[in-house]
Amino acid sequence: MTTQRQARDGVDVPELAVRDVTVRFAGIKALDRVSFTVAPGAIHAIIGPNGAGKSTCFNVLSGVYRATEGSVQFGDQELTGLRPHQIAGLGVARAFQNIALSAVQSVEENLMLGRHHLTKTGFLAGGLQLPQARREDRRHRARAREIAEFLDLTDKLDIPVGVLSYGDQKRVEVARALCTEPRLLLLDEPVAGMNADETRRMAVLIIEIRAALGITVVLVEHDMGLVMGIADRVTVLDFGRLIADGTPAQVQADAEVIRAYLGEAAEVPTEPGATPSGPAPAPAPSRAASPGATPLPALPPAASHPEKPS
Amino acid sequence: MAVVLCLVAAAMPFYLSSFWLQTGLFCFAASIGAMGLNLLVGTTGQLSLANGFFLAVGAYGYCYFAGARTTTGLLKLSGLGLPPAVAAVLAVLLAGLAGLLFSPIAGRLRGIYLGVASIGLIFLGQHLLINVLRPETGGFNGRDAQPFSLFGFSFADSNPDLFVLNVKFGAVERLWYLGLALTVLAGLYYRNLLRSRPGRAMQTLRDSEVASAVMGVHVIQYKARAFLVSSMYVGLAGVLLALGFRHVVPDTFGLDLSADYLAMIVLGGLGSVAGSIIGAFFITALPLVLQTYSSAIPFLSAPGQGGVGSSEAARYLYGVAIVGVILFMPGGVVSLFRRFGRRPPGAPAPGSTVSTSTRTSTSEPVAEPATHNPHPRTDRQGRTA
Amino acid sequence: MTLFLQLLFSGLSLGFIYALIALGFVIIFKATEVVNFAHGAFLLAGAFVTAKLHDRLGFLPALLIGIAAAALVGLLVERLIIRRLRGAPVISLAIVTIGVNIVIITELTRRIGTNVYSLGDPWRDQTVKIGAVRIAESRVAAVVVALVLIAAFFAAFKYSNWGVAMRATAEDEEAASLMGIRLGRVTAVSWVVAGALAAVAGLFLTAFPSPGLDASAAPIALRAFPAAILGGLDSTGGALVGGLVIGVAESLVSGYENQLLFLGRGFGAVVPYVVMIIVLLVRPSGLFGTKELTRV
Repeated sequence: MTTQRQARDGVDVPELAVRDVTVRFAGIKALDRVSFTVAPGAIHAIIGPNGAGKSTCFNVLSGVYRATEGSVQFGDQELTGLRPHQIAGLGVARAFQNIALSAVQSVEENLMLGRHHLTKTGFLAGGLQLPQARREDRRHRARAREIAEFLDLTDKLDIPVGVLSYGDQKRVEVARALCTEPRLLLLDEPVAGMNADETRRMAVLIIEIRAALGITVVLVEHDMGLVMGIADRVTVLDFGRLIADGTPAQVQADAEVIRAYLGEAAEVPTEPGATPSGPAPAPAPSRAASPGATPLPALPPAASHPEKPS
Repeated sequence: MAVVLCLVAAAMPFYLSSFWLQTGLFCFAASIGAMGLNLLVGTTGQLSLANGFFLAVGAYGYCYFAGARTTTGLLKLSGLGLPPAVAAVLAVLLAGLAGLLFSPIAGRLRGIYLGVASIGLIFLGQHLLINVLRPETGGFNGRDAQPFSLFGFSFADSNPDLFVLNVKFGAVERLWYLGLALTVLAGLYYRNLLRSRPGRAMQTLRDSEVASAVMGVHVIQYKARAFLVSSMYVGLAGVLLALGFRHVVPDTFGLDLSADYLAMIVLGGLGSVAGSIIGAFFITALPLVLQTYSSAIPFLSAPGQGGVGSSEAARYLYGVAIVGVILFMPGGVVSLFRRFGRRPPGAPAPGSTVSTSTRTSTSEPVAEPATHNPHPRTDRQGRTA
Repeated sequence: MTLFLQLLFSGLSLGFIYALIALGFVIIFKATEVVNFAHGAFLLAGAFVTAKLHDRLGFLPALLIGIAAAALVGLLVERLIIRRLRGAPVISLAIVTIGVNIVIITELTRRIGTNVYSLGDPWRDQTVKIGAVRIAESRVAAVVVALVLIAAFFAAFKYSNWGVAMRATAEDEEAASLMGIRLGRVTAVSWVVAGALAAVAGLFLTAFPSPGLDASAAPIALRAFPAAILGGLDSTGGALVGGLVIGVAESLVSGYENQLLFLGRGFGAVVPYVVMIIVLLVRPSGLFGTKELTRV
């Protein structure tokens, strides 16, 4: 049973269903029978302390790791067993946590890589600059520029990515992923290392992307302010297991989630929003990210999580 | 700039002696070979030391396809006796095929493991040339290369005799133009490739294999194609070398030759068309220049007199140049020019890495986060937060 | 059967010599991520110094000075060049050693010229008979010395301060330096040890049954490349196993050449590389090398 949703430009955005996925590395279970469903067009966050398996989960979704067991279905299409480039061809795009752009190439060339699976120019047509190669290049360059415009990168198109600020590089990552015209966008810690202002910009951007393109966004993020502010649904992992899955409000009230974040000793705060007394002094979570004005009760960020080995 | 250089090069046969034209021909051959290697190493990030092998395939392929069936001494040489132009094309294709055959191995190996595995090809190639394929290669003593001809125009000293502006155009003059034309074409193709879809894919593959795959690049296919195109370039260089030498021997195509080519692209600049050519000219011409002017250079003694001869001086200079460039000019010689202008597409910045490390394969952050990063680096199990 | 045993022992003894070279290779790689193409130059330098001095000083002092010389060359390369290139791409590090190799080898071959030097070793061309197998004394000595050195090395690697520091550095350079390990000293010692091991290998490679030290000795060191790669570039145990595998394979194929004529004469010299490529196809990081992990 697959629900579908019509995106703005007439592309079908299917549901993403993760079923009993297990990933083992040399005896360690990085993911242990994890199941969750991402509704079409949702902004879905995956959270959890360091080492919880969030990145592993993304690596399975994008085909970098192969699941030991379980299945990942994107609409009717089974993703496990596919190679990364095949998954990309199905409209799954990913922005990397540790920026994986080509530092020496310009922003525009990096974005054009996103057009790779949508274009055909090969070694002959490209090397000889045949007319069809030039036409194709022109057409797709125009679209890449549009996307750059959307992400406010137009004035940086000619600059090598390596010299941009960290926040700009993060946005180029997202822009490159969008250039693949995805139906499912995976954002791996899109605001990690960003300052409050950059974080706010990114939050607005993610919401705009969903609004403009109607695509599904799955994000891994540590910034609870951002997650609780923009996510429709939150999946919480801890030590490779799924411990909660629900709306932000449900997840925040979940006793096991709070225990996972604060350790066994922590008491469940009686009042939502009250700062729990963690073993380590917890910095106030950034609420600046939530564009909706509603102040959200937020969990302490993962940085205050004391026992978990990274 | 490039056009001016080409015009100057085209005028050279009217001014230079045949010795220098011969040297120039080898420089052109080396330029094409260096571009081929650079395509693989500098642009795609696949370390290869097998260049000598693919040069041999091109050179011997040409000799075999164009050569006649003959008997020299005890050895019967076989050959197909094809028209030289056809033989040259077939030799290039043969080199491409060899590259394609090696690419499954290349697809499985990374970084330095690939580099050392490719050394295996050199020794295997030497063995084949000397001991196994003797009727095709002439064994240890090598075999002659047929003079080149194209559409009935012979690139030999006569037939027809040719005078241009009262300068006799013999084999070297004619081959000079052939070498120049092929170098220009090879350079243009490489430049175009860098600016187009396959070039982008190869460069991203170099910078981060995982990222390129996730963005939709078929990594194995692209590695194979990079090997194919690269070895065709190198095969073409081999054909030109055979034409320049007129007689090829297996000794030429050893590990030292591969190291020379690697030195060319590092000295010139990884991933750069101009860098390939600069490096090729430097490494190829250096020994010959020193040899010619050895009497004018203090401390150098004539060959056979025990002191430091010109060929040794060339080796010292060469070794020191490699060390010096890597220490003080990590982007190669082209990085000097680049400071004054825009960086051409596809050229790694000075000091930027070709990701060939065996332990860290993936993208390190390009820049450190502006603020603190609460996420520690992943451990060896690849487990991240 | 006798031939087989003969070849097997000869191969094993050769393998131990290769293992000494490969071990140095691996140590350097572990400490500095350098694939050292100048290893043959270290070997040749040590052997050349020994060959030049043994008439005047006697074999043992000459050998010790030769070993010290190779170690010094290693130290100089590390101090003057490699240290300045910390963090450079692996390919640049490898190519810089090609440059070093060219300079050293050119100088040594110029000095050696067409001579063939003896290293003045006490075993000369004597042989011993073990059962039906006749073996060169120098090869017996090679096995004994290699075993002692390799055992000493593994002990040092496991227990000495240098070994612990070295392993810690290979694991995580940053953490190691934060723990107070002096990286400069660790890497310097690695290059010194590797140079010394290469010199010892140089002695046995040029001793009987080889004709002696001539300009062709350096390329032989290249056969230890496949040994190191086959075992896994960052595995010291792998270097030992790789050396033995390569030595035995080379010896057997050369010995049975007449039965293997379809491979062409002289295939023995190629065997190390063929074995290496086959192993790498099955295990892309060598037999015991650390598997590369994708981290995103």
